[in-house]
Amino acid sequence: MVEQFKAAAEAVGAAVKLCTTLDEAIASLKELAAGKMAMTSALPGNIHALLDDLTFAPPDRTDLADIGISFAMAGAAQTGSLLLDLTDPAERSATALPQIHAVFLKASTIVSDLYALHDILARTLSSSGSSYLSVITGPSRTADIERVLTIGVHGPKELHVLILEGE
Amino acid sequence: MGKEIIKDKINNAFLRKALKNFATAYPVARAKAFEGIDFEALRGRISEFKKEGLKDLPALVTRFKSSAEQAGAVVHVCSTPEDANRAILGIIQSRGADFLVKSKAMTSEEIELNHYLERYGIRCLETDLGEWIIQLAGERPSHMVMPAIHKNKEEVAELFSKETGKECSPDIPNLVKVARETLRSGFLSGQVGLSGANVALADNGTIGIITNEGNDRLVTTLPNTHIALIGVEKIVPSLTEALDVINILPKNATGQKITSYVSFIKGPTGGNGRELHIVLLDNGRLKLAADPDFSEALKCVKCGACANVCPIYEIVGGHVFGHIYVGGIGLVLTPFFHGFDKAEEILKLCIGCKKCNEVCASKIDIEGLIVDLRDKIRKPLGQKFLFGTMMKNRKLFHAALRTAYLAQKPFQGEGGRIRHLPLILNKETANRSLPPIAEKPFRDLVAEKPGIGNRTQAGLKESGIGEKVLFYTGCLADFVYPEMCMDTKESLEKLGYEVVFPQKQTCCGIPARYSGEIDIARDMARINTDVLLEEDADYVVTICPTCTMSLKHDFPKLLEGDPVYKAKAAKLAEKVFNFSELAARKGGIGDHGPGTGKGVKQTVTYHDACHLKRGCGVYEEPRKVLRELAGVEITEMADCDKCCGFGGSYSIKYPEISQEVLKNKLDNIAATGVTTVAVDCPGCKLQIEGGLEAAGSSINVEHTATLVRKRLG
Repeated sequence: MVEQFKAAAEAVGAAVKLCTTLDEAIASLKELAAGKMAMTSALPGNIHALLDDLTFAPPDRTDLADIGISFAMAGAAQTGSLLLDLTDPAERSATALPQIHAVFLKASTIVSDLYALHDILARTLSSSGSSYLSVITGPSRTADIERVLTIGVHGPKELHVLILEGE
Repeated sequence: MGKEIIKDKINNAFLRKALKNFATAYPVARAKAFEGIDFEALRGRISEFKKEGLKDLPALVTRFKSSAEQAGAVVHVCSTPEDANRAILGIIQSRGADFLVKSKAMTSEEIELNHYLERYGIRCLETDLGEWIIQLAGERPSHMVMPAIHKNKEEVAELFSKETGKECSPDIPNLVKVARETLRSGFLSGQVGLSGANVALADNGTIGIITNEGNDRLVTTLPNTHIALIGVEKIVPSLTEALDVINILPKNATGQKITSYVSFIKGPTGGNGRELHIVLLDNGRLKLAADPDFSEALKCVKCGACANVCPIYEIVGGHVFGHIYVGGIGLVLTPFFHGFDKAEEILKLCIGCKKCNEVCASKIDIEGLIVDLRDKIRKPLGQKFLFGTMMKNRKLFHAALRTAYLAQKPFQGEGGRIRHLPLILNKETANRSLPPIAEKPFRDLVAEKPGIGNRTQAGLKESGIGEKVLFYTGCLADFVYPEMCMDTKESLEKLGYEVVFPQKQTCCGIPARYSGEIDIARDMARINTDVLLEEDADYVVTICPTCTMSLKHDFPKLLEGDPVYKAKAAKLAEKVFNFSELAARKGGIGDHGPGTGKGVKQTVTYHDACHLKRGCGVYEEPRKVLRELAGVEITEMADCDKCCGFGGSYSIKYPEISQEVLKNKLDNIAATGVTTVAVDCPGCKLQIEGGLEAAGSSINVEHTATLVRKRLG
């Protein structure tokens, strides 16, 4: 399933890295974020703690961020898609405004396809209160001018997926 | 439709190239996107749950409204475009705003929201790249999914240069960069965001939006207020159904497995001061949902696939082939959303090839609805007389055809073909010569030379000759191609059938039906049903697929409400077959196997007639007949099942479009390098042969029956 996810995500222009340890993933992320203004979104506390040496954009200036860092709830292997809970608009911005979006994805949360995400989607959407879920597949794209595929129109130009295999 | 605008589009080289490239690339991408997916099962499910929902759309609306309100959204149900525009203006004003940032919503085009808001001093900014381009150009979308497909990069560069005040080079990545940079400030300063939605879930009030650019996520995130403008037909019961729609939409729209972004939004997010307003647009939908004849149209998920495969859209684009909603379904929805006056002309532009039905994501009989809608529009003067008086009276109709044989003589050129028709038809028929009406129609020939068909039924059975077949030739074959009819009769006899031609048969009524004269078509159906049931026979065979489709599928539909004829039409339908179906049954058996018979083995290419493949589901049998009975090899052409541009009277009403469709077909034929095109339709033969002849090609066009007769005869 991990291999299928990787192939499908790469086919639509995402960069996928298989990481055997969290440390390896953090190291890759730091390489990506070097010299850039970062913003985080929906990150578990343990990962957030490992990133405190990055440079962060001020909370009220999300538009200045170069890289958004987030954590996926699940992945769909068939299409290389990521499911993210982005109910907080600030966290959503972190995945929508910057040029680069880097996402951690646990290998164990990868399911077969869109339909296999049904239960997790339904659980979140049927709970009381508001929610905003995003299924993200590859970088932002357009083919609106002469049907020529062009990457990175309004959303991120680069999508990096760091798959945590051992976690 | 104005002839000038049609000519403009035909002569627009960029548009033609763009649409042709897309028409070529789309089927390949689509097939790849559907790899490993059972398309028929998927669209079957969508069709079913949509149909179920439409049975009580008001209930679905109520359920969605209550769920969405429970989740904290404010729901506005608006019955007219005016109501929706006013509601949206009210929301914007209540937020003290004067600037609306928008992601793509066809509903917004439908109610002409931008025009309305601008009158009240509200600035609107479209952020979908294609929508922004056409907003800058002051135009409307020419495709539901690719709104600016008609614009080339030079035009876009000019629009962007004007808008930004900086010179923009016509380099696509650069233009996309300009859009990103220019629109970014719009997102950040937008006070209110407006989106559409692709699905709305009744059970929990969630809306689902799919995009590739990611602009919807910014529009629904950065401003404090989000307005979603949604047609009520987008409501589905739950996530299960929504996933089917999300699964099929991008595959059918652009050949993508999934779009870059799918957003599920439930209630306003972000706490205090954030609002989500859902504006549910009726605008004729609730009335349409309750319409027993046309409610099916609302199953549409707005993927645009019907335009993607339409041979007419490919020639003229969406500014001609549609109003605000374009493509086949656009033709159907326009009268209900925008009024019959807006639909009158565009409804005539469909050629009836049914290609759209084949790909429709929710299994709508788009072509059938278009034909049925023609009954509801104003008809040309004199049409009722032509069909009502003349065609219903067989003797009068046939006498007119015989007179036409004499009248055409001055126009016949070398070889008897007609190259120059008088009056206005002249110029527009220049790219196609026409065969003349025959001196003796088949009905006269067969009366003189009845063959075995005249023997008694008892005698035949005793002599071991097989089933009895009534031959329904159709008018075109009878009066223009009598030799094609004779070939059919002789082939079938060689294959062991007894063939009888009932002299009282007349026009199947399709020309009347396609012209919107449904009552006359119904009368023709009754007349022919009686004629074809009068004599006891095992089968009724036709060599015109339109007639086959008419007898087999349209008669039962037309006569459904007739207590006397309903059963008769059903009985007739069971017996009706196309020539190739009856012939194929004898393939590979007895003396008729491959390699038997006379003649040299040749290679042909086969053109599938629209009404045979999609009207009757027959496309394997003709190939079997050609290989096994005619003993030929087949080299398939590209788009072998794409329309030749004939469409009966269509080629006379819209000769300029018809001949462009024909050119595509001729190019595909020429690319195969064969010298013979096999067809199973006299109309396709007339069209393709005429085009080849006018182009000076030596390729000939033969009906399958003729090729079989040559081999066996």
